[in-house]
Amino acid sequence: MAGLSETKGPVRRKKLKTNTGAGYAFLAPALLFYSIFFIYPVIFSFIVSTKRWNMLVPLSRARNVGFSEYSYLLRDQMFLGVFRNTLVYALATVSLTIVVALVLAVLINNAKLSVLWRFIYFAPVVTPQVAIGTIWGYLYRPNNGLFNSILRLFGIKPIYWLTDPNVALWSIIITAIWAGIGGSMLIITAGLKNIPQDYYDAAKIDGAGPFRQFFHITVPLLSPTLLFLTATGFIGAWQVFDLPFTMGRNAPARSVMTVSWYVYETAFQSLRMGRASAGAFLLFCVIFGFTLFILWLFRRGGIKGYE
Amino acid sequence: MKRSVALLAVVLCVLLSFSALAKTKLIFAVHWSDYQVEGVKDENGNVKVKGLRQYVEEYQKLNPDVEIEIQSVPFDEYLKRILISHTAGVISDIYVLYSLWGVQLVDSGILDQVPKDIADKVRASFVKAAVDGATIDKAIWGVPVEVANYALVYNKKLLREAGFNEPPKTWDELIAMAPKLTKRNPDGTVAQYGFAFLAGWDSAVVHPFLALLYSNGGKPFKDDFTECLLTSKEAIEALEAELKLFKNGATDPAASVWTFPTGKVAMMIMAPWYETALKLGFKDEYEATVGVAPIPYLKKPATIGYTWFIAVDSASKNKKAAWDFIRWMTLQDAGGFTRMGELMAKNIGSIPPNKQDIAFFKAELNDLYTSVFVKELENTYQEPNVAQGQEIKTILMREIVEAWNGRKTAEQALSDAKKQIDKILEEFYK
Repeated sequence: MAGLSETKGPVRRKKLKTNTGAGYAFLAPALLFYSIFFIYPVIFSFIVSTKRWNMLVPLSRARNVGFSEYSYLLRDQMFLGVFRNTLVYALATVSLTIVVALVLAVLINNAKLSVLWRFIYFAPVVTPQVAIGTIWGYLYRPNNGLFNSILRLFGIKPIYWLTDPNVALWSIIITAIWAGIGGSMLIITAGLKNIPQDYYDAAKIDGAGPFRQFFHITVPLLSPTLLFLTATGFIGAWQVFDLPFTMGRNAPARSVMTVSWYVYETAFQSLRMGRASAGAFLLFCVIFGFTLFILWLFRRGGIKGYE
Repeated sequence: MKRSVALLAVVLCVLLSFSALAKTKLIFAVHWSDYQVEGVKDENGNVKVKGLRQYVEEYQKLNPDVEIEIQSVPFDEYLKRILISHTAGVISDIYVLYSLWGVQLVDSGILDQVPKDIADKVRASFVKAAVDGATIDKAIWGVPVEVANYALVYNKKLLREAGFNEPPKTWDELIAMAPKLTKRNPDGTVAQYGFAFLAGWDSAVVHPFLALLYSNGGKPFKDDFTECLLTSKEAIEALEAELKLFKNGATDPAASVWTFPTGKVAMMIMAPWYETALKLGFKDEYEATVGVAPIPYLKKPATIGYTWFIAVDSASKNKKAAWDFIRWMTLQDAGGFTRMGELMAKNIGSIPPNKQDIAFFKAELNDLYTSVFVKELENTYQEPNVAQGQEIKTILMREIVEAWNGRKTAEQALSDAKKQIDKILEEFYK
C-alpha cells in the first residue's frame, strides 16, 4: 500500500497542478478584464477620494486630504438631500415598476395579441432615456402639456410638474416607471412561462379563484424572478442620472438631484475630483450594502437565488 | 553586412527628410457651433460669411509650415474636454476659454504666459470689461475674443398693447409694468409672462442678480476675495427686487426666456448672442417686435459681463507658433479691423472686445439689438475672476432658485450661499 501511495501521490499532485494551471489560464482573460475595468477603477477612485485633485495637474502633485472629503459629504446638507432623493427614487421606481409589471405580465400572458402588447410595453426600454426625458418634458408643460390639458377637462387645477419642488421628483419617478415596466414585464413573462399549468389546473379543481391562484401560485413561484428584478433594479436606480438630469434642471436642485448627478457636477463643474470620487465610493458602498440586504431579506423568505 | 548598413542609411535618410518636411501642428479647441467654424454657406456650398475654418486656411496658405486642426466641442462638454485631455496627456495648443475658469487654469499652471507685446496691446486696445476678464492676479493670460453683457430685451408689441410706449428705466418701473403685461388662463396658469427668468441655467440665474447687485451699489466679494458679501444690505435688496416679480404674479419659476420668440414673454434679461434666435423666431416681425434697453436699475445703471479669451497651453510643444497665429488672428490689422473681430461681428454675432473692431463694424454692431449692448459696455462689471468660480456660481444659482420658489427668503438664501462660498474662499485665499 505504502509503495502504491508513493507512486500515485506525486502523479496525482502533478496532475492536479497541471489542471489548476490550466484553470487559471482559462480564467486569466476574464480576470484581466475584471481587474482592468473594475478592480483598478475602484482602487483608483478610492485613492483619488483621499486627494484634493482638479484633474489639471498630475495626481502625484495633488494634496493628500485623508478622509476629509468623506466627512465633508456626510455633513453636507446638499449631499444628504440628494442621497434622500435617490433613496426615494430607488424605493419608488423599483417597487412600483415591479408591481405594475407583474400585474401587466399576468394580464397579458394569456391575452390575445400578447406579442403586440409586449412590444408596446417594451418600446420605451429601447428608447434613449434622454429622448424619453425630453418628450415627457413636453407632456409635463404647465400651459400646453398633455397632462394639464387632461386635468383641465376635469376642472382640476394644473400642476407645475417639473418646477414645483414638491412634485418634480415624483413626476420623474412616474416617467421612470413608465420607461422601466417593459423590461421587467418581459423577464416576469419568462418566469410565468416556467410555472407548470398543472398547478393552476389543480388549484381550479380545488376551487381557487384567480386572486388565490395569483397570490398562492404565481407570486411564490415567481419569487426568484422578483429577487433578480429587485436586486438589479436597485443597483440601476441608485445610479440614476439621465432622467433627473434631463427633466429636473428647472426645479430647485435639492428637490430632484440624485447622487450620480451630484458626483458629475462636483467632478466636472466644481473640479473637485476627490470629493466626487468620495461620493461615488459612498454610492458604491450603499449599493453593495443594499444588495446584500435585499439578498438577506429574500433568503429569510426562503429564496436563495435566481434560478 | 554592407547591404544592411546601406539599407539602414536609406531608412535614416527617409526619416530625416520626413522630419524636415513635417509641419508644425497646432490643435485649436473652441466651443463654437458648426456654422461658426465652417462658415455660413448658401445652397451651393459657397461661403457667404466666413467661419473660423476660412481664416485658418488663409493662415495656412501664408504659413505652409503650420497645420492647424480645429476641434469644436459643445459648450456643455468644453471644460470636461479640457480636464480629460489633460489627464490623458493629449492637450490642445490653443483654447478659447471662459473667463470664469481662468483662475483654476492659471493656478494649475495650464496657461502659458502671454508675450509682453501681446499683453501690452490687449491693455491698450481692448475694452475694460474684456481686459478685466482676461486678467488674473494682475497679469493678462490671453487675448479677449468676445465680450458679452446683458440688457433688457422686450416685446414692443406686447408693451404697446398694454399701453406702454417705452421700456422701463428703473427696476421699480419694471415691477409696476410687469403685472400689467401678464395674462392668465382661466385655470390660473400664466399664458403670457410680464417678465421671464430661467431657472435651469446658472448664467441665466446668477448674471441678472449680479447686474442688480452692482446696480444697487454692492458687489459679491471683497476685493481680495477673502469674504463673500452676499449678506450685505445691497445684495439682499437686489434679490428682494427680483422676488417682487414673483410676488406680484408677473413671473414664476416655470417661466423661460427661451419662450420669448413665441411672443409669450414681454420682458427678459438677455445677452447679445441671442439675436440670431430672435430673428429666426420672429422672422419678418423681428424689427417691429424686438426692443432692447439697458437693464432697469436700482440705484445706478449697471450690467454684468463675461469674457472669452484665447490662450495657449503651457504644455504645448509649439507655443511660439501658437502665439504667432493668435497675434495674426486677433491683433494684426487686416484693413482697419482684426480677423477675430470680423468673425465675432459678422458670424458669431458677439461683440468684439477690440476697440478698433467696435469702431469698424458699425453696420453689424449698430443694429437695433446689439447697439444697446455695445453702449452698455461702459456700465459693464466683469463677472469676478475668483477661484472655483463655477462652483460658486452653481451654489449661488441653487440658493436664488430656492428663493424664487418661495422656499427661502432672500436673506436666508443669500446667507446660506455665503456660508458655503466663504468656506471655498477660506480654502483658496486664506
